Amino acid sequence: MALGWAGLYGPMALGAIGSMIGCSLAGQAAAGALLETETGHGRYIGISAMPSSQSIYGIVVMFALNREVTPENAAGLAGIGLLCGLALMFSAIYQGRSCASAINVSKIRPEIFGMSLAPAAIVEGFAVFAFIFALVISAGVPA
Amino acid sequence: MANYYTLVTCLPWLPEQMEKCTQLPLSRIALNRRLTLLSPEDQQSLAIAEALYHPSVTEVQPDRERVQQWQKQIAELPSSVLQELVTQRLEIQTLMAALRYRKRPNTSAEHFYGYGRLTEWIKNHWKEPLFALETQIDPLEQWGELFSSEHSGDLQSQLDRYFWQQLLAVERSHHFTIETVVSFVLRWGIAERRLKSDAETALADFHTLSDTLLHSSGIQQQLNSLFEDMNR
Repeated sequence: MALGWAGLYGPMALGAIGSMIGCSLAGQAAAGALLETETGHGRYIGISAMPSSQSIYGIVVMFALNREVTPENAAGLAGIGLLCGLALMFSAIYQGRSCASAINVSKIRPEIFGMSLAPAAIVEGFAVFAFIFALVISAGVPA
Repeated sequence: MANYYTLVTCLPWLPEQMEKCTQLPLSRIALNRRLTLLSPEDQQSLAIAEALYHPSVTEVQPDRERVQQWQKQIAELPSSVLQELVTQRLEIQTLMAALRYRKRPNTSAEHFYGYGRLTEWIKNHWKEPLFALETQIDPLEQWGELFSSEHSGDLQSQLDRYFWQQLLAVERSHHFTIETVVSFVLRWGIAERRLKSDAETALADFHTLSDTLLHSSGIQQQLNSLFEDMNR
């Protein structure tokens, strides 16, 4: 039963933890780039907010899983919720690192700004996979 | 750990090729101000790495004591990558010292004292032209030629280029870590030393040229006539 509740709140909590770390890493990189560059400050700050999307996915998954926790559905909720939460957390952290690298290289060569964001976008894609399939599979968990 | 993200992105860019670095992107004071983002432990490690990588020539010490001091200081470095980086630098220094030492009269392998894994090898291959290290260190043949022809300036440039590329490789393989920061600062040190010596050379060249021109008869005569005109 306890794991069922953890699974219910897991996507939200783990997604938020990942977003905090990811945004923090990218934000610190953006702060450093502000010191070194004369222009383009807005986009550095914008990139540093990219890992926040995992929190939103976590909230949506949490609402999709939200139901009365019973011994029959606790295992299902725990499995989907915790694994989806972990996927969102790690994707947010690594997206933050990708964003930091993107900021670092686009500071040196601003013309590669768009291309440097590709790794962060790919990581986002995996977070979307985890999110969508958590929604799909949550339909099979008994109410 | 997190401070490295801010610090690495606020460091300026140094070119991949050492020769393209024609001026320092920021002063040492500005660099030091940014390096205050490091923790006291990291600042201490950076100071050790800098002292070993860019040793002061004013410090006179017997070889044995110096090597013991190096060993102690390298052990204090927090990362095996940094230890290896500094060790390689000191091993090349040992190799160059061995070449110079062997060139002096009445010297023998037994009295040579150096640092690192190459020392014993060097002693065992004392009679070989380049201590039989050509296959282990690719540019050694070129360094050997420059050493034999006493082109010490060119040799120093070659060595600097070699170290620059080593540091760049470490910088690229470690993102947002103490290794990235230390490699950058060491590269910055190479650039600073080169540019400083270039400025001194340029100043010396200027004085030589101006003295030559001033002592050449045509200009001297013109100056003399100018002074005479002014005195009238």
